Amino acid sequence: MNPMIRKELRQRMRERRAWLLPTLYLVALGGAVALAYYEVTSNSGNGQLQGAEMGVAVFYTVVFTQMALLLLMAPVFSAGSVTIEKEQRTLGGLLTSLLTPLQVWWGKYVAALLFLVLLLVCSLPVLSLSFSLGGIGPRDVGKATGVTFLVLASISAIGLYCSSFFRRSVHSTAVCYGVVIALTVLTFVAFLILASRWESTQIALGKPHDEPPRSIMATLYLNPFFSIVAVFLEPRQKGVQDWVLSLGCFALVGALAGMLAIRNLRRSGEQV
Amino acid sequence: MIEIEQIRKTYDGTPALDGFTLGVERGELFGLVGENGAGKTTLIKILATLLRPTAGVARISGLDVRREARAVRGIAGYLPDVAGLYQDMRVTEFLEFFADAFRLTGSQRNVAIQRAIERAGLRERRTAFVEQLSLGMKQRLLLAKTLLHDPKVLLLDEPATGLDPLARIELRELLKQLNREGVTIFISSHILSDLEDICTRVAFIGHGRNVADAEGHTVVKLGEQTEQATACEIEVAGDADAAARAAATFAGTHVERGRSKILRIQISGGIENGSALLKYLLNAGVVVVRFDARGPGLEERYRQVFGAERK
Repeated sequence: MNPMIRKELRQRMRERRAWLLPTLYLVALGGAVALAYYEVTSNSGNGQLQGAEMGVAVFYTVVFTQMALLLLMAPVFSAGSVTIEKEQRTLGGLLTSLLTPLQVWWGKYVAALLFLVLLLVCSLPVLSLSFSLGGIGPRDVGKATGVTFLVLASISAIGLYCSSFFRRSVHSTAVCYGVVIALTVLTFVAFLILASRWESTQIALGKPHDEPPRSIMATLYLNPFFSIVAVFLEPRQKGVQDWVLSLGCFALVGALAGMLAIRNLRRSGEQV
Repeated sequence: MIEIEQIRKTYDGTPALDGFTLGVERGELFGLVGENGAGKTTLIKILATLLRPTAGVARISGLDVRREARAVRGIAGYLPDVAGLYQDMRVTEFLEFFADAFRLTGSQRNVAIQRAIERAGLRERRTAFVEQLSLGMKQRLLLAKTLLHDPKVLLLDEPATGLDPLARIELRELLKQLNREGVTIFISSHILSDLEDICTRVAFIGHGRNVADAEGHTVVKLGEQTEQATACEIEVAGDADAAARAAATFAGTHVERGRSKILRIQISGGIENGSALLKYLLNAGVVVVRFDARGPGLEERYRQVFGAERK
């Protein structure tokens, strides 16, 4: 086992946030489920509420809340990971040992990701609650968890890149949150602007306007929430599916961030 | 063992090292002295493979620190001026991690960790968290960690920074012991008395270049009287001014008045001229209560090299 992974996990599990964050995370997730349940039952009026409707509502609420919470937490675990070594003046010891920059990066990356996986696993029972209500199958749970994991893996790689670039955790974490906000909010705003322009053009030309072209949809490919939506969308008639392209974009960005972070680590002797 | 040839390192066009050249023999305990910003830390970081030189070559045991960095890390131990520790790890966990990082396995790993604990004098505190250790213990732990993989060369950058006198004495003794065991030690320090006590040779560095002392040496061999000059300190009873005048009449002397009745005299030539001066003063009727003749010390040489520059 890579000694970096063992060291990182040991240190992380000794921190107060090791038990505090999962607790808060599950409380927030439970709160969201309760809210969804209340909303669905209060909006059903006097009509009979189908269990499947409730199941689907609970499922989507948990999936999106989970993604939002984990997007908030991912920079906490990754963006301070290398900068803390610089701040504590311990990076020099790592770089002058026989550990390669790749091993150092991999150890930090796996440790950051494993904590997010722990949170993902914690939320599986909540997510599976929808089974008992119907309308959702294990395959859907698997798809949602898989997409969330891939998106978080990419965000963690971006966090580690920021951490390898900056000297201080506060700067690195702020920039990483900036990237997360840009990916979630800016891409969505850009999509709305482009889609409304395209729709007005279509209306002016008297053409049907059911779904924007791929060039406009592409603005959402790096939006974490779109990745989840896309995996549950009706499949396209032809061409590569949007969810494949979206996850492909995340994988590409993650790989690029990883390579740049390793390069930065290799050159970080001046920051030691 | 360590060869440095015309090494240059620039930061945004500003040279930190500007053609520094040096050779350190196997088994030496070699000191590097210079003012703040002279390039000492940059040089040691280059040797430790943390920085890549802009130009020039540095080798440790024949291995190029730039091209064969990994092999260099296997034979060199580096202790930076301000080194950090993982405060939330226990002493044994800290050493185990670095033993794994240096790819020590099996019994070799266990023996190295045991030896490091003994060396750091932390047998009783092996399960303590690092943050609970005193500064001296932390420094010993860092040095023990640096020695885990049995390095042939030790690169120490200001290792005595922040240590109390007793810890400094222990550090000096440990370095002497390691040197006796055959480890080549390259050390930078501002504590000249420490270097004078332990080093075999010392080099001066200023503005990233080799600097020569008054006698033209860029590397000074310590513990040897030179043929060029002897420094004496004389304490007299009676009229110190008259004693100073008498001393000044002796050929090749330069007299400085120290506090109250102390004279500091530089005599050209070796130690035999010191005893001749003593005889001369006694014959001149000067009452000498203390006579201390020694070669110019490191402090004196340092003042000669860098004092004029600062003025």
